[in-house]
Amino acid sequence: MKKFLATICAAGLLFTGCGGEKTSSTNDKTFTYGTVAYGVAMENVGTNPHESYSGWSTLRYGIGETLFKFNEHMELEAWLAESFEQVDDFTVKIKINDAAKFSNGKKVDGAAVKKCLEALIANHDRAPRDLKISSIEADGQFVTIKSAEKVPALLNYLSDPYGCIIDVEAGVNDNIVVGTGAYKAVKVTDTQIDLVANENYWGAVKPKMDKVIVKSITDGDTLTMAMQNGELDAVQGLPYSSLQLFSGDNYKISQVETSRVYQAAFNFKTPALQDLNVRRAISMAIDKENFCKVLLNGNGTPAIGAFPANLTFGGDKVHALPYDLDGAKKLLSDSGWNDSDGDGYVDKDGKNLELRWLTYTSRQELPLLAEAAQANLKKIGVKLNVNATDNYKTFLKSGDYDIFSKAIVTAPTGDPEYYFTSHIVPGAVDNAGFYDSEQIATLEDELHNTFGAANRSELAIKMSQQVLDDCALIYASHLRMSFVMKPNVEGFTAHPSDYYEIRPELDKK
Amino acid sequence: MKKYFAAAGLLIFIAVFADFLTPFDPYVQDLEGALTPPNSINLLGTDRYGRDVLSRVIIGSQTTLCAALALLAVIASVGSLIGAICGYKGGRLDTFLMRMSDIFLAFPQMVFAIAAAGALGGGLLNAAAALAIIGWTKYARISRGLVLSIRSMPYFDAARMAGSSSIEILFAHVLPNIAGTILVTAALDIGTIIMELAGLSFLGLGAMPPTAEWGAMMNNGRSMLQTAPWVILAPGTAIFITVATFNLLGDKLRDFLGGDRQ
Repeated sequence: MKKFLATICAAGLLFTGCGGEKTSSTNDKTFTYGTVAYGVAMENVGTNPHESYSGWSTLRYGIGETLFKFNEHMELEAWLAESFEQVDDFTVKIKINDAAKFSNGKKVDGAAVKKCLEALIANHDRAPRDLKISSIEADGQFVTIKSAEKVPALLNYLSDPYGCIIDVEAGVNDNIVVGTGAYKAVKVTDTQIDLVANENYWGAVKPKMDKVIVKSITDGDTLTMAMQNGELDAVQGLPYSSLQLFSGDNYKISQVETSRVYQAAFNFKTPALQDLNVRRAISMAIDKENFCKVLLNGNGTPAIGAFPANLTFGGDKVHALPYDLDGAKKLLSDSGWNDSDGDGYVDKDGKNLELRWLTYTSRQELPLLAEAAQANLKKIGVKLNVNATDNYKTFLKSGDYDIFSKAIVTAPTGDPEYYFTSHIVPGAVDNAGFYDSEQIATLEDELHNTFGAANRSELAIKMSQQVLDDCALIYASHLRMSFVMKPNVEGFTAHPSDYYEIRPELDKK
Repeated sequence: MKKYFAAAGLLIFIAVFADFLTPFDPYVQDLEGALTPPNSINLLGTDRYGRDVLSRVIIGSQTTLCAALALLAVIASVGSLIGAICGYKGGRLDTFLMRMSDIFLAFPQMVFAIAAAGALGGGLLNAAAALAIIGWTKYARISRGLVLSIRSMPYFDAARMAGSSSIEILFAHVLPNIAGTILVTAALDIGTIIMELAGLSFLGLGAMPPTAEWGAMMNNGRSMLQTAPWVILAPGTAIFITVATFNLLGDKLRDFLGGDRQ
């Protein structure tokens, strides 16, 4: 009996001790944030912007800042840079803000920016291709960048997360870099980033939280429950079906349209899909409205083209085919596809119109789109076999697909050229449908040599319309990104770029 | 015993005649009626595509149960035959095949199946193939052991002296004598196979949309456990009832046939 009582007392003391420790650590103002967007699968672990997509974490979690940033219309604004001057088609001179400081207290000057950009070009995989920098010169607070060829979107590319300015001389220690952001990383693992306020922050608004903990929780249900039981102050990436659980007064939601689009590319190597009528019929049979309203629980907007309405070259600047099942059936019939054997599927020369829809599951919306499309197309007599696999790259390589559906951020730097060069122009790396259009190639040449946002927008609209006229792809929906937070959280709002999450304004009342 | 046979028979009956038993077309989407709770028309409610959950559970029994039984029939017969040949012939063939089975047995079955299904790509057929690749070894081991014990029986020597060929001995004397044990093992395995197939589908490595399969249905409804629990509870309960029924039947069968063998 004595032993039993002693054990109980010991356990009691142990728990009391644990409780005391917890109380002392909660004096700090801590913001705990759960996200599905950080992790090895997203290639963004770590905070070194010169590695893969790690710059996204540097920028998202307030560790680093770029020379320019995007406003809510994805237009460029000064950030670390104070101003710029386009000297000629190949040269741009940027003035760095005199007040800018790294988190170690060191001043950000032209020389520091030069070193950082040189390290970026030497180490990063995508940056040299985008920037095409031939030389960088530093002079006091000025940095002059010369390009090997015309790069009209140079400033946009410099605002990509990989363009975060870090103190290269301070090095990278345990995945931690020295940036200029409101917070500095103190511990970085594959599943969590611990941040503390940057006491040397140069911006007008000083960080209001003492600590920020970013937790990678990639399972939507775990994330939902962690938010429900109060473990987290805010979350990003909840399953759409869970959002309704957070609709009361106990939570706040911040939502924004992003340029992430759910698209499906027709494989032009498939004989049946070389017929424009067939591609048009399939496009007209996809019920985008209901997909967004019901399957995405209203967390998406039906897409017309590749770019959303908040961009000057997006939204209804282009026009697509309407949802029209009768029209679709007529187009198929015009091309000789009729249900001659009464099996519910249209056929020609004794063969049913049967297509393979390839997609992957790591984006929860894609299998939903596939299954909705399958039912939609059945209504016009097209048989769709869905292959939703995360091993999709094998199928892409072997060419075993007729339609490939994916999610893609079409304007990550607010400029349209990236999307066209990566997905649309003949021979582009991600041109999964082997779409080959002379008009597109000519327009892309023109875009590549055109300066000025208005002129580039005009060309982007022409190119987007050409893609839609050729019915090379179906654009189903643009993603609406949602942050759910406790009601006492302030200054935590979703941004259309999907970049700036933890900002100096973040506070807990 | 009879009641378990009756329950199993009922499940198989539902699976075989599923096409005639579904109140609605399990594949027709009606997005306007999505996620309707159970009511007098849709007894188990509707899923996120507005499809009748009861109809999908019924048609899903066909997919799940038929796939499990077909897979079991293949691995039990192929595995037993390989084991019997090894036990009967012995020598290098026996050594080679048994070492092969040792290699497969060294892997946890589900982990190996996930890896194999992942490499083969999605689809129920690929998931079944992944389970078959590793599943035959158990039956080969059991039947080999049984054949080795039968080889010392007087009737085995008598058959050889009577001039029977190896094939005759294998099919007329060996296999019938090991069939009871194999049958009991297979009956006990039905539940496991159903769970494994459903497990692969749950992980997205089995049935592809829109195929109604219980594991895949649970996976689709996973994120709606709090908002529309009927979507996941219906197929989950179906798996529970089916696995429990076949496990209890296997137990009874083992007791019954085991007693006879003594």
